[in-house]
Amino acid sequence: MPSEETKERIIKAVDLARTVVHYGWIPFIIYIGYTRSNPQPSLIKLISPLA
Amino acid sequence: MASSAALPGAVPVVSKEVSAGPSTSSASGLFAPVTSLYNRLQSWRQGLDMPNPGTVENLQKEPKMTLLTNFMFDGARADLTKTMSMNPQFQVTHSFQLGGQMIPPSYNFAAVLATEKLLLQGSVDNDGSLSGRIHSNWNASNLSKIQLQLSSAGGHNVLAAEHDYLGRDYSVNVRVMNPSPVDLSAMWTGSVFQSVTKSLALGVEAMYQNQQPGMADLNLQYHAKYTSPIFNKDQGWIATATLQPQGMIQSTYWQRLSEKLEFAADLMVVNVPNKRDAVATLGAKWDLRMATFRAQLDSTGKVSALLEQRFAPSFGFLFSGEIDHFKNSAKVGVGVMIESASFTPEEMGMVPPPGYPQ
Repeated sequence: MPSEETKERIIKAVDLARTVVHYGWIPFIIYIGYTRSNPQPSLIKLISPLA
Repeated sequence: MASSAALPGAVPVVSKEVSAGPSTSSASGLFAPVTSLYNRLQSWRQGLDMPNPGTVENLQKEPKMTLLTNFMFDGARADLTKTMSMNPQFQVTHSFQLGGQMIPPSYNFAAVLATEKLLLQGSVDNDGSLSGRIHSNWNASNLSKIQLQLSSAGGHNVLAAEHDYLGRDYSVNVRVMNPSPVDLSAMWTGSVFQSVTKSLALGVEAMYQNQQPGMADLNLQYHAKYTSPIFNKDQGWIATATLQPQGMIQSTYWQRLSEKLEFAADLMVVNVPNKRDAVATLGAKWDLRMATFRAQLDSTGKVSALLEQRFAPSFGFLFSGEIDHFKNSAKVGVGVMIESASFTPEEMGMVPPPGYPQ
């Protein structure tokens, strides 16, 4: 069993990873999709529901 | 020099391997009954020519696609889908939902990127809750999935990872949910689904969880699926049953009557010590050229219908209605689906699929 200190560090790391994924997941997909798309779309079309 | 020295050295190695041949054959002599039995069993099993039964997760896929329960909505909704690219497929969707009796007005943004090997999907709603999905097809028989759900207010978070292996006549699935590296708690699910004859497949699913300290819990579920011997795009039927020993049986029957008409029935019986309940559902689905119509009737007194009408390939309307005769209530839903592409099919050099309405 890991010590209390290690446990706390793991919990902190998991929390940080969760925050990163929470804010980064959609931008990550959009970035990957935007760069791999063929033909490449315009950014405004990508984000706005009306364009 | 070094290579010429190595070459003669290599020859004895090879001859040693050849001389080692008899000793391995004596080992296989020792195990010969076992290996020959195994080979005979394998060739007998191949001779049976049983199909892969599909996964336990997809056990009730056909009735679920035919029944209306998963498609029902009320209030008004609009889905704006934009396809940015066909290869890899990249799509963003904005969905708006308003005036539902159950759900508050909401906005949802989703992005999907799919190639043959990989699927990345994410959606976020106006509360800031995120759900994401990664599917990876390693090869024809191995598929890994990661699924996560993060809510904004630190509430309910879910992380699930699973792996599917599809064998010649069986499927295996292992799934872990909310693993914690600190106290090694998690919820594990494993299932095996095996074809027993060409039509019948039997499976067992085990769920183990130790999420509360000192509380380890093992649950078993049994599955059976019978597929009709004649199964093609004009006719065929599937019957499934799922049994939970705690007192729940769910059975479904699904039949394709023609290419355009499908019919499904679902019976769920709950018989636990302080609750006895049963719900039966009957439904039908018509696939017309520009429309899909679903109708459903269940034993709780609900009659419901859903029409998906496409006026053009990129423009469709949804109408749904439900009357609860026992509670004397009704729900109505109207939806619009707009799909736009940043290019025309001609620009992409794509040939429209046959039957594609012009």
